[in-house]
Amino acid sequence: LCDPVLSCSGSAGALARWVLVELQGEVEPRQGGELAGGLLGDLHYTCEGVPVLIVGHHILYGKVVQLEKPFAVLVKEGGAPQPSPGGPHGHYTVTALIKTKLLFKTRPKPIITHVPKKV
Amino acid sequence: SLVIRGEKDEQAVLCSKDKTYDMKIADTSNMLLFIPGCKTPEELNADPTSCNIIHSQIAGFSNNYWELRRCRPKLKKLRKLLMEDPYGGPDRCKDQTLTFSRYTTEDLLSLIQASEEEILHQLQVMDACKIEGYWRILEFDYKMKLLDHVTQLIDSESWSLSKVPLRTCLEELGSLEPREMIEHILLSYGRKYVDDAGEVFFEMHEDKICRAIAQMLLQNAVKFNLSEFQEVWQQSVPEGMTTRLDQLKGLALVDRSSRPETIFLLKVEDLPEDNQERFNSLFGIREKWTEVDITPYIQDLCAEKQTVGALLTKYARCSTLNGVKVYSSRRPIS
Repeated sequence: LCDPVLSCSGSAGALARWVLVELQGEVEPRQGGELAGGLLGDLHYTCEGVPVLIVGHHILYGKVVQLEKPFAVLVKEGGAPQPSPGGPHGHYTVTALIKTKLLFKTRPKPIITHVPKKV
Repeated sequence: SLVIRGEKDEQAVLCSKDKTYDMKIADTSNMLLFIPGCKTPEELNADPTSCNIIHSQIAGFSNNYWELRRCRPKLKKLRKLLMEDPYGGPDRCKDQTLTFSRYTTEDLLSLIQASEEEILHQLQVMDACKIEGYWRILEFDYKMKLLDHVTQLIDSESWSLSKVPLRTCLEELGSLEPREMIEHILLSYGRKYVDDAGEVFFEMHEDKICRAIAQMLLQNAVKFNLSEFQEVWQQSVPEGMTTRLDQLKGLALVDRSSRPETIFLLKVEDLPEDNQERFNSLFGIREKWTEVDITPYIQDLCAEKQTVGALLTKYARCSTLNGVKVYSSRRPIS
């Protein structure tokens, strides 16, 4: 039966632009627990515009990719407690568009700060 | 805005005002993080003063996303719903006041997996009309009765087929049938226009009228002797109209291998909507098809920018029979 509805918050020109960061594998909190509220890492760009992500003691090099098929970010609104029979049963609002992603697919390199010198 | 449509037993589609898209969930083993306000190198270069640390929050992450692919609107259900209670004229209505398989535009929008424009367009193609707020398809016999009134009037008044006056039709036929129905049949089988004096006329569609009359003849038997049918058909159409077999594409099929040659009713709208099922059904009816014969029965399956040739390559096997290219099933039919 009907039918979630998607609508834009504000005009298309006013839609927020977000960026996607794509990582291979999974991100785990260092001491277990939840990801929420924790620091992921630092994002830098080199002079040539190459994104560099430092997560824990790893460094990842990525690239900026313009998405061929942009994404829309949808937020589900709390549905009406009693939806009308013919009306929509849910409402999603488009809150942002994503046209760019930072893709990190190279193997993370550990950052070693102290290399003992061989005598 | 966009709408997701589908009942519990259907695969969801997403509809804009005029397009329909299949929805699929795409999985990735990568982790996707979404960051509001994250700046790209270009944006940072454009604003050299902002070289401080920017604290950004990751709004969320995901392993999957919805992917959309444009698809054909799923309109077979529309015909099925409207055929539950076809309109047979004002006299018939009296027995049927309480069957409520009647649908308003809003009802159809919540039941049919297609965009509003695609639905409205299909309603026009089906010659449906709104009666008391509900979309109705006319019973074929009633449609032919209305058409017959009009063609007989055209004949008795000796009007040109391209200049049929609305006003006179309503005056002369208004006592036999509801005026809305007379106008509806003229709109279904003619092109409306207004002359310089502001009078409304219709240019009658020869092909569409001949086709309707052929259907009327063919639905009375399993098959017909082709030459006999062609003779009766030509005699049955209004004076001044010429019948041609190509008017019957997607409605009837000629069997040129039988002796004598025969013709039978085969309506594309009665065939399955799914590609593979459609081809299975067609190959069940006839083992080998020429491209010319099969095209009217698969044309509607073509996706945006897809050709009939591409469909045949995918779903059929090509071979040569007596020097002619024919298509048959890729797999043995049980």
